[in-house]
Amino acid sequence: MPDVPKPPAGAAIYFDGKSSQRRAVTLHLGDRLEIRDGETMLAAWAYADIRRADGPSGMLRLSSLSAPPLARLEIRDAAFAADMVARCASLDENTPGRRGVVAIVGWSLAATISIVAVVLFGVPLAADRLAPLVPDAFERRLGEVADSQVRTLFDAKVCGNAAGEKAFVKLTTAIREAAGMDTTVQSSVLSSAVPNAFALPGGRVYMFNGLLAKAENADEIAGVLAHELGHHKNRDNMRGLIRDGGTSFLVGLLFGDITGSSALIFASRSLVTSSHSREAEQDADGFSIDIMHKLGRPTKPMGELLVRVTGKEGKGLSIISSHPLSEDRLARMTRENRPATKPPLLTPEEWRSLKSICDSGGKI
Amino acid sequence: MNEMSWTPPGPPSLPSPPPMPVAFSGSRGEFFHLVKRGAGLEFVTLGFYRFWLTTDIRRHLWTHTQIDGDGAEYTGRGKELLIGFLVALAILVPIYLGYFLVGLEAERVKAFASIPLIAFFYLFGQFAIFRARRYRLTRTVWRGVRFWMSGSGWIYALKASLWGLLVMVTLGLAMPWRTAALERYKMRHSYYGDLQGSFEGTGWEFFKRGWWLWLLAPVVFVVWPLAPFIYGAFKAVEWRWWLSGIRFGGVRLESGLPRSRLIGLYWKVIGWMAVLGLIFSAYLGLAATLAASVSGEEFGEFFKSQEFSKSILLLALAGAGYLMFALAINIVLRVYLVRDLWVRVLESINIHGIEAADNVSARGELANALGEGFADGLDVAGF
Repeated sequence: MPDVPKPPAGAAIYFDGKSSQRRAVTLHLGDRLEIRDGETMLAAWAYADIRRADGPSGMLRLSSLSAPPLARLEIRDAAFAADMVARCASLDENTPGRRGVVAIVGWSLAATISIVAVVLFGVPLAADRLAPLVPDAFERRLGEVADSQVRTLFDAKVCGNAAGEKAFVKLTTAIREAAGMDTTVQSSVLSSAVPNAFALPGGRVYMFNGLLAKAENADEIAGVLAHELGHHKNRDNMRGLIRDGGTSFLVGLLFGDITGSSALIFASRSLVTSSHSREAEQDADGFSIDIMHKLGRPTKPMGELLVRVTGKEGKGLSIISSHPLSEDRLARMTRENRPATKPPLLTPEEWRSLKSICDSGGKI
Repeated sequence: MNEMSWTPPGPPSLPSPPPMPVAFSGSRGEFFHLVKRGAGLEFVTLGFYRFWLTTDIRRHLWTHTQIDGDGAEYTGRGKELLIGFLVALAILVPIYLGYFLVGLEAERVKAFASIPLIAFFYLFGQFAIFRARRYRLTRTVWRGVRFWMSGSGWIYALKASLWGLLVMVTLGLAMPWRTAALERYKMRHSYYGDLQGSFEGTGWEFFKRGWWLWLLAPVVFVVWPLAPFIYGAFKAVEWRWWLSGIRFGGVRLESGLPRSRLIGLYWKVIGWMAVLGLIFSAYLGLAATLAASVSGEEFGEFFKSQEFSKSILLLALAGAGYLMFALAINIVLRVYLVRDLWVRVLESINIHGIEAADNVSARGELANALGEGFADGLDVAGF
């Protein structure tokens, strides 16, 4: 050995990554880091290859790119550890640190933005394109499932005493034919006091007796039925299903882990989807107006019925309400109103029968 | 320590060295800072940070756990969990879609037609538990040698499901035998280097220690404040039984965890939840007052008219508040039921025959994080 000053040395524990044997070694800081057990050299690590591994506080734990992946050096002496840190330039290259966190936050924000964009633009577009591709048979099957659920939910029976049924069939047939739809479209009155009507997938339209009770003439009811047929024609149910499913899936992805975030998912989903269903309602209103024009009957009565049912809604922001404001709908139907050019859809006698369709004596 | 009262005495002829306790060197403040910062980042990233937070928590717990003077190391990374989650998603999404379609058909036939589908997801969840454990184990390193696992996730899932059926039929009475059988399978396929694991706990032993808790369980439905006591005692019994059954070659674990050791933790969590719930309600009240005053209506009127359900301000405030509330609860859960529980359980451990692990050859391959992804996607957890 040439007579030069001895390089600094320190004690460490060495695991070679091939066995669990614990070796007390001395480290010699030469051109490379030399790991020695007495006189035998166990390994030599280039400083540029040395990386920090997770270790408990008060201990510097090192690995090397050129050694077996799990080979570890453990240095407990603080001063010597500091010396090592100074020598290894790329020590913290693999350690998860501040830069990594910034990248994670950045990518998360990008992912969030892209998910929000897909929810706002992609999902509705997909729903519009996919809904017409869904086979009718499938949609009817969905309707059957929903049908039994609706009946249990509202605990409702189908009304139909002979005279009322006759009037109802006359009314619905007139509307159906004006809309150019076949007999797969079925309508019924349900005995429930809720003033509402809705269309199920597959073309089954339900009107609750509560709405009939609030109606003052056949044109009001005809407008509502035509509106529901409009939903069927536009396949709004299918679109809504695809949209809601897709949106809740994506929003759920976003909030993932945060415990019990379903309330949050529900809230943000209803914000997003309601604006689309308002569009669907407006389209259905348009459809209803067209049908009433074809039938030669006024459109204003339906708007009046709506306002009668909901009351004035005027105040506040309605961004999350799924239907447009009743006043706005009345205004539109008044604007589109034309005087009657054809006789009423039902005679006064038939209208009275329809109003009492759920009265006793009816069969199920 | 009272471990002598129930440990089967070892062969008396061998002069064995004294048992080795396990030490934990991590500071509570450091861990609290870690989960607090993690919760903040979860808030900012809307939950995406969970993969890295989980990794950081494990890194902290693993590195500060010292066995025979040497700290363990967790080599998993957040990115692996993210990839596992994405792959799991790619597999789960078509399955969910298929589930929806099949469910639709089943609904038409009515009756219990959808039960096999639930069973399928149960099976999948058990598979996820096994594979997630394999991932965690292969990322666990001690003395430069990793733990690893063989065995099949699907065989495990089948075993777990069949045993689960038996547990259901026996109203939970068969649970100890199920746990023992599954633990035997998992431990038989676990290795430290070339040291094969095994599990020596028996269902009967578990049953003997826990049957009175099983009897008390129905009482909880009447006297709910008993629940933390019974659950805490059950968890302590389970931990002690499980740890005392673990073997790796000649290395034998033993735990003397007292039944009452974990009950306090559950009460602390309940206390914090009550406090946080109170703060959240007060915040909601404040937000509602603010929203009502902005809308310019009487407070009572504001709620009577259903106006409040349409106020964007109130919705945004409530949403943000709810998110904070959920994250605060996560911090509480992680400090008490992850960190403190970990420390209390570790303190109870004694290791016999550690010298058998002095010269173990490295073996085993890394497993991917798919199981963790499934567990995340299906919301299941387990060892």
